Amino acid sequence: MTVVAVFAAFAAWAGASVIVLADGRRGLAIGIALIAGGFATLAWTAGDWFGGAALLAGGAICAVQLLRVGPQDWGLMPAGSTARLIQATVGGILALWVAASVSTGHGAPLRFASVAVLGLMAARVLQGQKATAVLTAAGGLALALGGASAIGPIASGFAPYLLAGVIAAGATWLPSAESRAA
Amino acid sequence: MQPELAFALPGVSLPISAMSRALLVAAAGSLALVVAFPPPKPERTVLLIWGGAGIAAIAAIAAAPSLDLVILLTLGVAMLHAALAGRRTLAARLRAPALAVALLGLGLVFARLEGPTILAAFAAVGLVAGLAAALGVLPYIHEFDPEEVTAASPIVWMAFLGPILAVAVVTRARELIPEAGAAFGAMLIGLGLLNILWGSLASWLTEKGTSAWHYSFMADWGLVLCGFGVQVADGQAAALLVLYSISLSRLPLYLWSRQPLRERIQTDRPINLLAAAMLAGSAPFAGFAARVLLLRGATQLYWPLALVIAIGLLLWLPPSLRLGRSLGLPRGRQAIGAGIALSLSVAIGVYPQPILSLAGL
Repeated sequence: MTVVAVFAAFAAWAGASVIVLADGRRGLAIGIALIAGGFATLAWTAGDWFGGAALLAGGAICAVQLLRVGPQDWGLMPAGSTARLIQATVGGILALWVAASVSTGHGAPLRFASVAVLGLMAARVLQGQKATAVLTAAGGLALALGGASAIGPIASGFAPYLLAGVIAAGATWLPSAESRAA
Repeated sequence: MQPELAFALPGVSLPISAMSRALLVAAAGSLALVVAFPPPKPERTVLLIWGGAGIAAIAAIAAAPSLDLVILLTLGVAMLHAALAGRRTLAARLRAPALAVALLGLGLVFARLEGPTILAAFAAVGLVAGLAAALGVLPYIHEFDPEEVTAASPIVWMAFLGPILAVAVVTRARELIPEAGAAFGAMLIGLGLLNILWGSLASWLTEKGTSAWHYSFMADWGLVLCGFGVQVADGQAAALLVLYSISLSRLPLYLWSRQPLRERIQTDRPINLLAAAMLAGSAPFAGFAARVLLLRGATQLYWPLALVIAIGLLLWLPPSLRLGRSLGLPRGRQAIGAGIALSLSVAIGVYPQPILSLAGL
């Protein structure tokens, strides 16, 4: 079970990295799907079946919507992406250091995934100029917050998972028209 | 500020803290005032729909039983708010609130980690930075377009959603990281002083009138952050009264000043001077009582802090005179609305106890 949790945590980090590195809808869809799959598996390994299902459903709806609407391209690592690549790598290393070295107790994979995804999504939100990328990052944030609700001695219950799933599912359904007149 | 059972219907119970309940009342009062005496441009129905949605969001945040849900609800509200018709791009509208959510989330995660005490300090940094980003105060000022409709602008975060979010974050942060309480308070005071200085100076010196109002909200938030940071009863009471002043006085006056600002009308009538006195926190308005309480709280904590805040308070006068003039000469319904806003502020300033009792202070 621990090995599965470790792989799930790295999948979540990989998904966040793809969202940081991608501008196209296919790349963003793969990223959000990996985050959702990672956090859902982490919830399942902790025995929270319904919570994991809510996260997976939310991420899946977001990914499908990204693939269904708009121009389909990968947009992975466009020119000038070196800084983003360094960001994704350093973000992962810092999160690993916090989860495995600074903090103690069980649940290191969930700690790593939560810190890595929250940090990388914050970076993506700051960089993003296109609505789709920022909304997808917001969906990733929601999934990470839902997953992170299991950290600590007192579980927050099913509600954060459900709300996170709903927000992630709705992220790409929002009208993203730009600069409308007041 | 302990949560209590505010509503108890069969099968439904919503725990809302006394402070949150008081701010919910203030937000509802502000909406009622603006809808009853609407500014000329936005229609009353539009104000009612957007304001009603805002009240629902405030109630949801107030009733959220955990900080996880508060942060997730904030993210949901931020996304819906960003989807409103506005002049800025959606990415620009969502950037700061989403960053706030990420910082608050990181702060919460660090607060729950087991390990050395430095983790609690990191948590305090994340929560304070997240709160500042959500409110749009320094160092995370939201991108502001003076021509944008108010409901889609950052003013919503500062004057409508911000108060309840600040109370939710501050009260829960104290429970989550008691060992970093002093650092948390110190950071709030530091940010507060920075915003008092920057907000009041920028409000005085900026060219555009609407931007001056934006900065004036920031200066008021400086007082609120100082009040929350002081962590004695007087500080909390001062923060609450400034938040009431923002909701019931500054926000309606800002909305009523939009049209005169567009038409570049400036008047020096008695109503303008009264509005300026209210905005500057002069006696007998609510801002004066808040300032007295804040100075008393700061003196209890560390008297040089009270001295610094007192010097900062002097900076309110020049921008308030400018903002008071920008109200123009209110006519008809707006004149009645302005009169009510001034009267409410006087009533709270002269006898603030009912508001403080409502907030459990």
